[in-house]
Amino acid sequence: MSANRAIDLKKTAIDWLGITPFLLFAVMFLIAPTLYLVTGAFLNPAGEFTFENIGGLFTDKILASYWISIKISLASSIGGALIGFWLAWAVVLGGLPSWIRSSLLTFSGVASNFAGVPLAFAFLATLGRTGLVTMLLRDWFGINLYASGFNLLSFIGLTLTYMYFQIPLMVLIITPALDGLKKEWREAAEILGATNTQYWTKVALPILFPSILGTTLLLFANAFGAIATAYSLTGSTFNIVPIQLYAQIRGDVLHNPNLGYALALGMIVITGISNLIYIWLRMRAERWQK
Amino acid sequence: MKTQKIGAWLAIFFGASYFIVPLIATFEFSLRMRRGEYSFDAYRSVFSDVQFRESFSYSIVMAILTIIFGVLLVVPTAYWVRLRLPQMRPVVEFITLMPLVIPAIVIVFGYLRIYNSSSYIPFTGSARGTDALLMFSFMTLSLPYMYRSVDTAMRTIDVGTLTEAAQSLGASWPTIMFKCIFPNVMSGVLSGAFITFAIVIGEFTMPSLLNRPAFGPYLQLIGANRAYEPPALAVIAFAITWGCMVLLQLVSRFSKSAPSKP
Amino acid sequence: MISHMRRLLSLSTAMVMASTAIAAAEPSAELIAAAKAEGTLTTIALPHDWCGYGGVIEGFKAKYGLTVNELNPDAGSGDEIEAIKANKDNKGDQAPDVIDVGLSFGPSAKAEGLIQPYKVATWDSIPDTAKDADGYWYGDYYGVMAFEVNKDLVKESPKDWADLLKPEYANMVALAGDPRTANQAISGVFAAGLSGAGGDVAKSGEAGLAFFKELNAKGNFVPVIGKSAPLAQGTTPIILRWDYNALSDRDTLAGNPPVDVVIPASGVVAGVYVQAISAYAPHPNAAKLWMEYLYSDEGQLGWLKGYCHPIRFNDLAKNNKIPKELLDKLPPAAAYEKAVFPTLEQQEAYKEVITKGWDTVVGANVQ
Repeated sequence: MSANRAIDLKKTAIDWLGITPFLLFAVMFLIAPTLYLVTGAFLNPAGEFTFENIGGLFTDKILASYWISIKISLASSIGGALIGFWLAWAVVLGGLPSWIRSSLLTFSGVASNFAGVPLAFAFLATLGRTGLVTMLLRDWFGINLYASGFNLLSFIGLTLTYMYFQIPLMVLIITPALDGLKKEWREAAEILGATNTQYWTKVALPILFPSILGTTLLLFANAFGAIATAYSLTGSTFNIVPIQLYAQIRGDVLHNPNLGYALALGMIVITGISNLIYIWLRMRAERWQK
Repeated sequence: MKTQKIGAWLAIFFGASYFIVPLIATFEFSLRMRRGEYSFDAYRSVFSDVQFRESFSYSIVMAILTIIFGVLLVVPTAYWVRLRLPQMRPVVEFITLMPLVIPAIVIVFGYLRIYNSSSYIPFTGSARGTDALLMFSFMTLSLPYMYRSVDTAMRTIDVGTLTEAAQSLGASWPTIMFKCIFPNVMSGVLSGAFITFAIVIGEFTMPSLLNRPAFGPYLQLIGANRAYEPPALAVIAFAITWGCMVLLQLVSRFSKSAPSKP
Repeated sequence: MISHMRRLLSLSTAMVMASTAIAAAEPSAELIAAAKAEGTLTTIALPHDWCGYGGVIEGFKAKYGLTVNELNPDAGSGDEIEAIKANKDNKGDQAPDVIDVGLSFGPSAKAEGLIQPYKVATWDSIPDTAKDADGYWYGDYYGVMAFEVNKDLVKESPKDWADLLKPEYANMVALAGDPRTANQAISGVFAAGLSGAGGDVAKSGEAGLAFFKELNAKGNFVPVIGKSAPLAQGTTPIILRWDYNALSDRDTLAGNPPVDVVIPASGVVAGVYVQAISAYAPHPNAAKLWMEYLYSDEGQLGWLKGYCHPIRFNDLAKNNKIPKELLDKLPPAAAYEKAVFPTLEQQEAYKEVITKGWDTVVGANVQ
């Protein structure tokens, strides 16, 4: 019936109209400025089309830097997600006084962006060789932290530092999801005889899983693109991709911006792949949901 | 649930130690400006600067504007995608992840090339125009966090049923949006607002290259070659930002009734 | 009456003589008027503590009444070039008028058509090796690579590069940047190599890498970027950086902690920076006036106050224009006599060696 079809078309048109503001915003302020980056990845400094920048990505050094970037991002995002979830659970469902919840949430707001030079310095001043905690452990407890093999300027140290902004991010974003766990579901599960563990593994976690996954992905991308903290802390030791990228785009010496753009393009591709993995995992988790 | 409570307190204890100790170390170092004794010299040096107050107020205003416009953009979009265009969800989510991996410096150079004073949309042609461009750039930077926050909150409420119920009661779209959806995703909006606020206060690259008097460039100018002022500034910025967030939370608590908590 | 006249005559003669002496360095009235009509100068990458730029900018503002719009003091040389490129069509406040970049960026910026030529009044007193013959770029100041030492944590300051390898300096030595990208850090590696290679510039890149490999193996090298805060806090008690940065740091810290600035006995490397005017400058006349100011005696001495050696140093010294107090605050002149000024080709060569080789030779200790 043509009337129905007209209504259908109108509905589709309105559907797409509703998303126009966002798309317009994205194109104007995110996509258009970065087109320069995408096209630049395929140009050489003289302006001619070339694949040599993309080819240049497959050198040992750069592949190694992508790999270490991925490792650090995975470590800090999974670690951040787990500990952040624990903290969020504690304030939402742990039966603690409500002032702890609001303090944690507001503190997390600030800490989520406490990165770069101030964060690196804070950790150097705490766990560096002449740091406050290092000296306290040595003077009060006779424990020599560095002699036992710990070194802040290492993979573990960098991950530990990254978690300072990853954990608060997880706390902030997963708290609303935990808020949404209805009391009725808990009561229903108990009536049916479920233990605490069963409630969590069979009811709560499956419901929360897509949100946890989505937030972990956010944490991963967040760490992947972070440069200032790594640069200030482990500078020339760790060859993560953003440092390489910045070196090419703004460095004093290397200064091959086109290679820098290719590096950024590689990062976008990796983020896209992680997004696809997330969507696949989420679809599987949401099978049972409407 | 005794074990539950112990587990919760343990989490808070470890969390608090991990987060507070580095701040204490920074604070302790900032007190060392005067040789041999603790003093607030570094803080005095920071507060006496007029530019401190000016740049901080500028950034606070920008932060509030970014939050308002960000929420107005993101909440309807997340709602719409959930309700009417679920097939666009992967695309929208991918777009919202982009600002995390595209360097801010590339984005801002892109703005200068596209929106400079000789182009069709000359944002940089005037100070107010540049302010608007800066706000849009902040919205872009905070997009991932705002979207993810709001989306997570929306996931837990059944937007479909809520909308149908409201429609069957004769509500118009604005009413549905502002009276039904917004109050229920408030905690997600608040989380997103907190993160946005912190981002805007601390952001350096965007305002620096667009040449606007924000707090980030000020921090850089002061801290560049000093030893004791940067940690003092970090502590001050942390404290004031935290204070603003507490205010934000109080405001939201009084203006909207929170959804009934179990 | 007559004595009065004579006094007046001698006074006016003195004034004429003084004015001719100043007139030689004073920019023309048209330039000043044109600059004032533009009203603003936009600079980039000029931290106030670098070479006393804070004082230089204030002096310029006070003398000509222009406003100075300072962009991104954190910018590196590469950023400044990118800023010109990104703002080609932009006449707003985001476009830099003038840049101050490392020596190797001068010719490349000229080749890309990003800068415009201008010869200041004192052009002839700039050494030929430090300027472009057509006037596109011109050296402004230089400094030498030095050791900045935190005296609270280091009992005896190292005197030369070889000293840094001693066991008493374990976990102490840091560069002021990333040696794969930052000019200052690369120069540090080169200077170490120059000392190790006994002055042979061609071999210094490799020798520098070998030195840092040994420094790292002995556990003396700290991979954190050396700055004022980590120096005072104790993470990087010895920093290898330009002497002017070390000296101004010493002043800013004002004894808390006390800082020793040592010019090494061998391997003394000078780093030259150059000025240029952007080809797309929104305020070209203000830019030219700025250059005139920088290369006037007043501007050059402003840099000297920031412990940088202005490019016209020898000329100023010859004409006794440098106040004694200023000279006393600098390290002894004898240390600078051995300074090596690598040419553009030499710089390209060792930069290539060091940036490509750093990761493999010195190696990342990934735990």
